[in-house]
Amino acid sequence: MLNLLVQSSINGISIGTLYGLVAVGLSLIFGVMKVLNVAYGEFVVLGGYISFWLLTFFHIDPFLSIPLVAILLFIVGSILYKTILANVSSMQEDLRLKNSLLITFGLSLMTPQIFTAVWTADVRSITPAYSGTSLAIFDYRIGFIPLLSIITCLIIVFALQLFLNKTYFGKSVVATSQSWKGARIVGINVDRTYLITFGIGLAIAGIAGVMIGLIQSLTPVVGMHWTLKALIVVVLAGMGNLWGALIAGIILGIAEAVGVIYMGQYASVIGLVFFLLILMFRPQGLFGKS
Amino acid sequence: MLEIKNIDVYHGDIQAIWDLEVTVQDGEIVALVGANGAGKTTIVETIAGLLKPAEGSIIWDSVCINKLPANKLVDFGISLVPEDKSLFADMSVLENLEMGAFRSASRKQKEKSLEYVYELFPVLKDRAHQRVGTLSGGEQQMVCMGRSLMSKPNLMLLDEPSLGLSPLMVKIIYQALKQANKLGMSILLVEQNVRLALETSNRAYIIENGRCINCGNSSTLLDDEHIKEAYLGKI
Repeated sequence: MLNLLVQSSINGISIGTLYGLVAVGLSLIFGVMKVLNVAYGEFVVLGGYISFWLLTFFHIDPFLSIPLVAILLFIVGSILYKTILANVSSMQEDLRLKNSLLITFGLSLMTPQIFTAVWTADVRSITPAYSGTSLAIFDYRIGFIPLLSIITCLIIVFALQLFLNKTYFGKSVVATSQSWKGARIVGINVDRTYLITFGIGLAIAGIAGVMIGLIQSLTPVVGMHWTLKALIVVVLAGMGNLWGALIAGIILGIAEAVGVIYMGQYASVIGLVFFLLILMFRPQGLFGKS
Repeated sequence: MLEIKNIDVYHGDIQAIWDLEVTVQDGEIVALVGANGAGKTTIVETIAGLLKPAEGSIIWDSVCINKLPANKLVDFGISLVPEDKSLFADMSVLENLEMGAFRSASRKQKEKSLEYVYELFPVLKDRAHQRVGTLSGGEQQMVCMGRSLMSKPNLMLLDEPSLGLSPLMVKIIYQALKQANKLGMSILLVEQNVRLALETSNRAYIIENGRCINCGNSSTLLDDEHIKEAYLGKI
């Protein structure tokens, strides 16, 4: 039994870091722009599909395709910002939230249709040659891909943290998240900061999508599932804490993986129960400031 | 020199400023005084580029600046100290001050500017690593002025710097303001404390309902009957 618990926890960590990474991107966009992107999961799926194509048609290894996927999603993010979100981002904060919810909800209804047209409704997985291999650690096994995925997630969050704290542009992103008026006063181009933040947010979604395509599977309608997971993790962690989001993701991942042993298909309820309990008793989240 | 020529400013459909003319000469302290809702904040936010005038122009050293975005005006040496302070609450005092020198021109002189700000407000040096959100209102006002000074402005737009502060704090803030002015910085001061504003400034504009109803030397305005009656309380 203990073996089963530990093995499930290992699996939970690999999926949990992905929950965390998706949440990091979503909370970056919300934290800086005060825009809630409920179509976020669709871009996770898009990243996965792009990597699937790159492997199928150009034989590019999925992990090597990550930079390319990130750049493409960054460009998609920049275009979307310029076309549909720039106007929303210049509104007062309460209006931004309401309007962005409506706009991105519309986007999340539209994109699955586009995905179906381009990639059909078939279940797709990214399956490189090494997809079945695993490593043994003591008595337990961890797949080669989940291990690489965990490492990639950690590197991305670490790099993002470094970018935000150590570079001038990163600091301007942090400053804008705390006071966009103050940011404008000191000479920060807030509009450009929003554009780049939205682009980075979607790039992170795309990167997560590649690994989700490797570990799980992609369908045109699975995006909303990932948006919900990201929202649960953001509520669990509290806003504005990257490592907190990653840890909260891992907690959720382990809880679900272990929950499957006892609850079978109802394990995904665990996340929603967490969601309710946190909102009731600690609305600022586990790692957020009160 | 700042010249505001016949500007009209709207908040949505509502006109807040009507045909306003204001000038600030180099090295001058000019006050905008008036009651709540007169439009004083609208005027400074328009100069700072946060609002755009529908009519008229704003000229700074012969350059028309009213079409420029707010973030570009820092490069022209114009800096706003807003009424709501708009500080970066989760950053430390030092980080907030450093953000003031964000533009590359002022970044080069960051250390020197920082020394100057600490000289004006020694308490900020002691609190350099404290989170700004945990400071008192007066200390936050110092950080806000300090952040503005870090950009080495030629014109500082100060919006209600004495609002909600203790008399001692007001004294410290105004001393710093006068000291910065002595070094050549022009100041456009918005103040509800009319006596304080007129005693500090060289010239003043009296704003009522978005229009300038009177202007002139501050010492003359202090003796003006209408001003005494409306703002200073006739004894």
